[in-house]
This record gives sequence, C-alpha cells and structure tokens, in this order.
Amino acid sequence: MKILFRQLSALAGLSVLELYRRKDLIVVLVFSLVILLPLAFFTPFGVSGASRYMNELALLLVWLFSAVIGLGVSSRLFPPEFESRTLYPLLAKPVGRGPLLVGKYLGALAASVSALAVFYVAYGLLVGIRQGVWFPAIFFQAFVLHTGFMVVVTALGLLGSLVLTPAANLTMCGLLVAGMLLFGQRLPALIAAQPAPGKWVLAAIHWVGPHLEFFDLRQRVIHDWPRVSWGVCVAVSAYALCYAAACLTLAGCVFRRKKI
Amino acid sequence: MREKLEPVMREKLHIYLCVLCVLLAVTLGRGVPLLFSAGLPQVPGEDVLQLILGDARQELSAVMLEKAEEYFHGGQRDVDCEYGLESCEAHDHEAHDHEGEHAEKPGSEAKPHDVWAWIDRHIHAQEHRHLEGDQTVELLPWIWAACRASPQNVQAFQTGSYVLAKMARRPEEGVRLLEEGVRANPNDAGLAFSLGELWLITLKDAERAEPWFISAYEKCRPADGPEGEAAQLLKVRTLFYLGYLAKRRGDVARVRACLAEAEALSPGHASVRDLRRLLEK
Repeated sequence: MKILFRQLSALAGLSVLELYRRKDLIVVLVFSLVILLPLAFFTPFGVSGASRYMNELALLLVWLFSAVIGLGVSSRLFPPEFESRTLYPLLAKPVGRGPLLVGKYLGALAASVSALAVFYVAYGLLVGIRQGVWFPAIFFQAFVLHTGFMVVVTALGLLGSLVLTPAANLTMCGLLVAGMLLFGQRLPALIAAQPAPGKWVLAAIHWVGPHLEFFDLRQRVIHDWPRVSWGVCVAVSAYALCYAAACLTLAGCVFRRKKI
Repeated sequence: MREKLEPVMREKLHIYLCVLCVLLAVTLGRGVPLLFSAGLPQVPGEDVLQLILGDARQELSAVMLEKAEEYFHGGQRDVDCEYGLESCEAHDHEAHDHEGEHAEKPGSEAKPHDVWAWIDRHIHAQEHRHLEGDQTVELLPWIWAACRASPQNVQAFQTGSYVLAKMARRPEEGVRLLEEGVRANPNDAGLAFSLGELWLITLKDAERAEPWFISAYEKCRPADGPEGEAAQLLKVRTLFYLGYLAKRRGDVARVRACLAEAEALSPGHASVRDLRRLLEK
C-alpha cells in the first residue's frame, strides 16, 4: 500500500510540476488582469456601483481558463509518453498500468484543481476589495462544484488521450464541454420538441452524456441567489466521482488492450 | 579589449536605430495626415466597430439588451413575464401580486423519473425576480454596451433612458442619453417622443417638452396598412401630449385640431378619449 501511494504521489507530482514549469498559469492570470482591471474603473453614464457585469466576466474567464487548463493538462498525459517512448522505462519499473493511469489522472487533477484554487482566491479577493463581501458560503459551494467539474473533465481528457490524437481530443472534449454547459439545461425541452430520430439521439446524450451544467453555479453567485442545499451538493459531487470512475475504468480497459 | 567592446557597441547601435525608427514612424504617422489631408487616397470612414462588425453591430446590440433584460430578471433568460425592460414596464413590487407571475420557467417541470432534471432544478434557480432600487445600476453596463454597439438601436436608447430616469432616479442622464440617440437617429420619431415624455412627466418641464413633441409629430409619417400601425399609435399619443400642452396654454382651437387629427387616425384609442375629456373640462 505504501509503495502504491509513493508511486501515485510521484506520478501526480510530475504533472503539477509540469503545469507550473510551463508558466501557463502566470500567462492566464496576467491576461485576466489586463481584461478585468480597466473594467474595474468603468462607470457607465457616470454611475458607479455596478459590479455584477465584472463578476460575470471574471467567472467566465475562470471557467474558460480552468477548462482549457484541465483539458490541456489531461490531453497531454499519454501521447507525449508514447511518442518519446518514455512510457517503457515507467512500465519496466514496478509500476503497473493501473497505478500509472490513476497516478497520471491524480496528477492532472491536482494540477487543474490547484490552478482553479488560485483563480478562485484571485476572484474572491477581487470581489472582496470591490464589494466588501469576503468569501461567502455560496462561493465555497461554487468552488466545490467547480472542482467536481474538473474531476469529470480531466477524466474525459485522459480517456480521450488514449483513444485520439491530442488535437482531436482537445476538439472533441472542448465541444462536449461547451455543448453541455450551453445546452445541457435545455435538453429535456429539446427532446420533447424533436421528432423521432433526433429525439432518441438527444435522449441518449441526456442520459449518458456528462451533465457539466450541474457544476455551474455562476448564476447564483453573480445574482445573489441563495446557496444550494448541501445535500444536493453532495449528490452532484457523488455524480462527478462516479462519472470520473466510469471514464477511468474505460480508460483502464483501453490502456490494458493497447499495444505498446 | 577592442574585440570585447565591438559587440557591445553594435548592440547599442541596434537599440538606438530601433528607437529612432519607431520615433520616425510615429512622427510620420501623425504628421502625414495633417500635412497632406487633401491629397491622401483614403477617405474618413466609419469607426472600428463598423469596419469589423458591419451589420452584425445591430445583432450585438440586441444581445447586450437581452443581457440587461436577463439581469433585470435575476439572471434568468427567456422569462415569460408581463413586466420587462423592453416594454419599459418594470414595476413596483408592492403594487402587484406576484403569486402567478413569478412562476417557474416554462418547460421546467421535471418528469418524475428524470433524476437529471430534478438535480438541475435544485442547482439552477427556476423562478425569476426583478431588480429594484439601487440594484438597477447593474443594468447600466449592458445598456451602455447596447447603445455603443449600435447607435441605430433605438430600443437601447429608450430602455436606457427609462432605467436611468425611473429606476436609477437620474433623469438628467436619461435626457443626455436620449439626446445622443436623437443625434444618431435624427429621423426617429420615437426618441423625440420619449424625450418629450421625460421632460414633461419626470422633470415637469412643459416648456422643454413641447419642442420634442412637435419634432416627434413632424417626423412621424405612418405608412398605409398594418406596417404603419405602430407609427400611427405613436402619432396619436403625440397628438394627446400636444393637445394637453395646448390646453395648459389655453389654446382650445389647437386642442380641437389635435383631437380631430387623432380621431381620424385611431378613433377608439385611449388618447383620443383623454383628448375629449380635456376639451370637456
């Protein structure tokens, strides 16, 4: 057990180091500051006090960059290892395919969630300084659910990295993420409105696809709606863990059958 | 020693040359249009937004206005609500019973076995609410963006002036916004009418209101048939205000003329009944 834990933490640590070595996070933070800082001084029609538009833009950037980082990190997990053949020394050491897969996933997840934590702290500071509201309960709920989003997205990216090329993986996962965030809530209404063949396709997506919109609490955070009940939060987090476990199981099967 | 100095001197020379070229480019860029303004082949064009977006500006402006509507309804889209920004009928909550109005989004009833829809209903707020009081400033950035994205979006100027004057209680800013709208849309009767209403009803300045109603009357040329219905109704409402202001001056003949013209356009309209009541007083 200790050896397994050491192997997993070593593999996970590599992904975190890689993210911070590439300085992606610093670029993203600087880019966000460049966009948000001028808006902080904006007074439309000479009236100050509006803040929701900035919160919306800031959260949109957080979601956009977290998805990009999550997919970017997870899609680069295996293809470079296959291309540069660094996978063989890893597997030659007593690291099984299963622990390797889980270790890589945990590394990608740790890297993505650490970046997400940085974004949320920055956002919390921005809101605190501008509005005087410091890290309310809904904020922590939003972070917890957003972590659930990263759990699912990283698992999807890892599964895709074993099956597709990096570019195809990024494209497919990007479309899936964007599609579910934009249209996931409307799927029941779309299913009811569509005729027969389209209805079945949409129904299949509704039942099998990852409901990433469950993790999106932006509307509640921006527009001061009350927080979600913690029971629902736990249910959604359990959904994220189960979905990620399903993706990892599928990835494990693919990896086991893959000829190296 | 000399060999070590040469690369350093060469690097400095490159830096100085680079700075000189940049300064020269900036100077020429600023100076040439001033010195040769008549001789340049280009003509002054529209702004950058028009060059990049073209007709899509109107769509972008409409989207910004929809965003303001969304903010008014607490972040909810496609709300089936009698009161909205676009109809300029954001109302006082205390005056109305909202039991039936603040209903859940249409189509949001989850089927009993649809667990995903059940979760969605608990994660995302299903009912809507209206911004009130100081919160209405949250609408202003989107309205500002809608006006800037397309100065031809008359609805954006009218909605913006309503929000500024009635909701944010800054009628002077509302006047300024409408005047900007009139400058961008000189032939639009609706903006002139809105300015007249703002001066008369909110700012209680009949003297400044009347020229705007006259301007709206002159610009309003309803087409024949159903297409001209909206313009016809606007003209009838304008005639009512012109008649009202004439009554205040004691010009009964003018009131009768306004009534006659309004009756010819739309005899059953409420403004026509109000004009008759003015004459009876």
